[in-house]
Amino acid sequence: MAWRRRGRIGGGVEVLDSIYSVVALVLVLVACVELGDAATAVDVYRLIQYDLAGVPYGSRLAGLNHHACAPPFAPGADLSRTVVMMPVRELNLTFLREYIINNQPLGGLLLLLPQKVSNRIVGEIKSKDDGLMRNILVELEQLLIHANIPYPVYFAFEDDKINAIFADVRRSDATGQPPMAPTGGYKLVVSSPEPKRVSSPTITNIQGWLPGLKGDGDTNQLPTIAVVASYDTFGAAPALSVGSDSNGSGVVALLEIARLFSLLYSNPRTRGRYNLLFGLTSGGPYNYNGTLKWLRSFDQRLRESIDYAICLNSIGSWKNELWIHVSKPPENAYIKQVHESLSDVANELGVTIGIKHKKINISNPRVAWEHEQFSRLRITAVTLSELSAAPELLESTGGLNDTRDSLDEAAVYRTIRLVSESLARHIYGHQGKNIQIFADNSSLALNPSYISAWLDLLSRTPRVAPFLSKTDPIISALKKELSDHTVEVHVQHETIDGMFSFYDSTRATLNIYQVASVAFDLLLLLVVGAYLILLFGFLVVTTRGLDDLINLFRRPPSRKVKAA
Amino acid sequence: MTVFHFFNCAMLTFGPHAVYYSATPLSEYDTIGTSAKAAAVYLGTALVKLVCLATFLKESENDNFDPYQELLKVLINFIDVAGLYFALTQLTHRNISQNHKFQAVGLGWAFADSVLHRLAPLWVGARGLEFTWEYIFQGFEANANLVLNLSLAALGSLMWLRKNKPRTLIPIIYACAGVLATMPSITSYLRRALGWQPAKVVSFELFSSLMMAFISWQLFSACQRSA
Repeated sequence: MAWRRRGRIGGGVEVLDSIYSVVALVLVLVACVELGDAATAVDVYRLIQYDLAGVPYGSRLAGLNHHACAPPFAPGADLSRTVVMMPVRELNLTFLREYIINNQPLGGLLLLLPQKVSNRIVGEIKSKDDGLMRNILVELEQLLIHANIPYPVYFAFEDDKINAIFADVRRSDATGQPPMAPTGGYKLVVSSPEPKRVSSPTITNIQGWLPGLKGDGDTNQLPTIAVVASYDTFGAAPALSVGSDSNGSGVVALLEIARLFSLLYSNPRTRGRYNLLFGLTSGGPYNYNGTLKWLRSFDQRLRESIDYAICLNSIGSWKNELWIHVSKPPENAYIKQVHESLSDVANELGVTIGIKHKKINISNPRVAWEHEQFSRLRITAVTLSELSAAPELLESTGGLNDTRDSLDEAAVYRTIRLVSESLARHIYGHQGKNIQIFADNSSLALNPSYISAWLDLLSRTPRVAPFLSKTDPIISALKKELSDHTVEVHVQHETIDGMFSFYDSTRATLNIYQVASVAFDLLLLLVVGAYLILLFGFLVVTTRGLDDLINLFRRPPSRKVKAA
Repeated sequence: MTVFHFFNCAMLTFGPHAVYYSATPLSEYDTIGTSAKAAAVYLGTALVKLVCLATFLKESENDNFDPYQELLKVLINFIDVAGLYFALTQLTHRNISQNHKFQAVGLGWAFADSVLHRLAPLWVGARGLEFTWEYIFQGFEANANLVLNLSLAALGSLMWLRKNKPRTLIPIIYACAGVLATMPSITSYLRRALGWQPAKVVSFELFSSLMMAFISWQLFSACQRSA
């Protein structure tokens, strides 16, 4: 009997060993099962992270893993391990400003933007709330961009799920969290790798060339008129910076002007004796860095042949007044000429054009308008804009508030009409005459659906330059469009000057889990343990008798007696 | 913390089986072999049931209660009973009394059922951060299932292993066994057709299993006394 049992035990040990290894392997495999079972998953967009001349700005972290809480807070509450959820609609800007300026630590910040407005607002009728919201967004953006925030900041759009969660969080915060409840709150998790510096952010300039009618001389000796617009944007959330007005409106105006003149220039009998140069530049928010590099790439002859350049910047939401910004004094003959030709057409359209003069300070690296880059290279240039004052660095560059519904298509239409008529009168020598070259219902009429379609496309495409690769679809689309309208298209890739550097990780997925508090699980452990012990006692009593149960606890003393 | 929750739910689901084994005289008589054999028979039965379900059942697009499909499922559940019969009567067990045989078989059967149906969802689901009551309910269900299987095994041993039973009790025994065998179909009917909440369904299962256990205990001791 004994040897049989030993043999069985020996065999049993081998079987057990192999079972152990199989079990271990299975456990390892199963532990790799990815757990993606959140109650809610939301798309979130991270605040921009950049360095300006070595000084860090923006949100410096991307990963998030903390409990959610909502304002109002008790004064002196410790929020360094919580994520604060704040809807922008009820934003308390002073509170936020205080927190950021005093460098108070937070686990994270989640800002909830109002739901995307899907229908466009036609005309200039905008509700007062909209205007207020835009102001709040502008202020919020400026606050966040110029602060160094050591925790992750994310933007998300409000929807039913997030609103329900936010209401829940606010309610439980108000009543004081009950520790025993299974709903111990919500945990917000963003698993994002650490943001890395974008190694060589490229800016891409696209130019299109429409040659004029050669006379007896060389084409290059014909004078050139340039129409320029910068197409890239900058904002607090780079994945949301679509910049419809700044400067999507300028880009669309340029494309429509190119289309109209390509119609005129396609027929040699209507081709003007001026070359037309269309430039879509990048690097606008960064002191028009791209424009500078583009101009530097011109050869001397081309540079000298440019009569004047018109830069378009934010022409999408003005009503009656547009501004020309110049750096040469308005008394200058060339400037006067440009101003007059624009004013003539403006009067016919029933709008006014004002002129603003801002001297260039060569020692100041700040370039507020695109025409200043031209002026620094002694090319006559003006900027046409609805803004009356020069924007500061990283201001009015197409941020959170600049969406499709902030545009007025009629304004874009008027601007295109204005610029193209005045250009055509200058080219064909009809200054001062009341001729409508691009009249409505003519073959050269402006195409509202073309304008509308391009505005829609640009309003859906975030265009922050460091995050646009060389082969980004929007760049290819703009290049293709210009090549449809012009004869020669040239694309130039450059890197942004060393003063700015950017970090990636602009969008992520936020997982919201409803978690149970640790106290609940401890309670559960106690309950289950008590249940099992009771069950054990019950079963021993019923099947073996009460004596056996008592004997279970008497065993240790009897062994001691045996040893002694 | 979430592994903690998994541990809690696992204890709730599988703990009672281990406790039952160690608390009752089953551990003294070392009946683990019997339980293991019963578990293996359960595995085989589950495979046969799966094949039958796949062959005979139509795919239903919606979650409505189709009486013919449910009837078919009830019939297929009787394969369970056949498997239990096989485990109780056909397998060679060591010399253990009838009393302990049905307990060991029932325990092995219920343990295999819990592992097969509840371990995988528990492992994958309860370790996540998200909290649901689902796994705690599953634990309660496992407990109810254990009691149910023990009663069924008891009645099964009465029906097939005991030769001399009092005449009057025979129909009651068969009726109770029938009820126990169809219990899974009853609960699925409650859940789907009547749309009961999970908490209600689980409490019904616990209550009914205790009731049936009490009835089978009475029947068993009545037969024991008369023998």
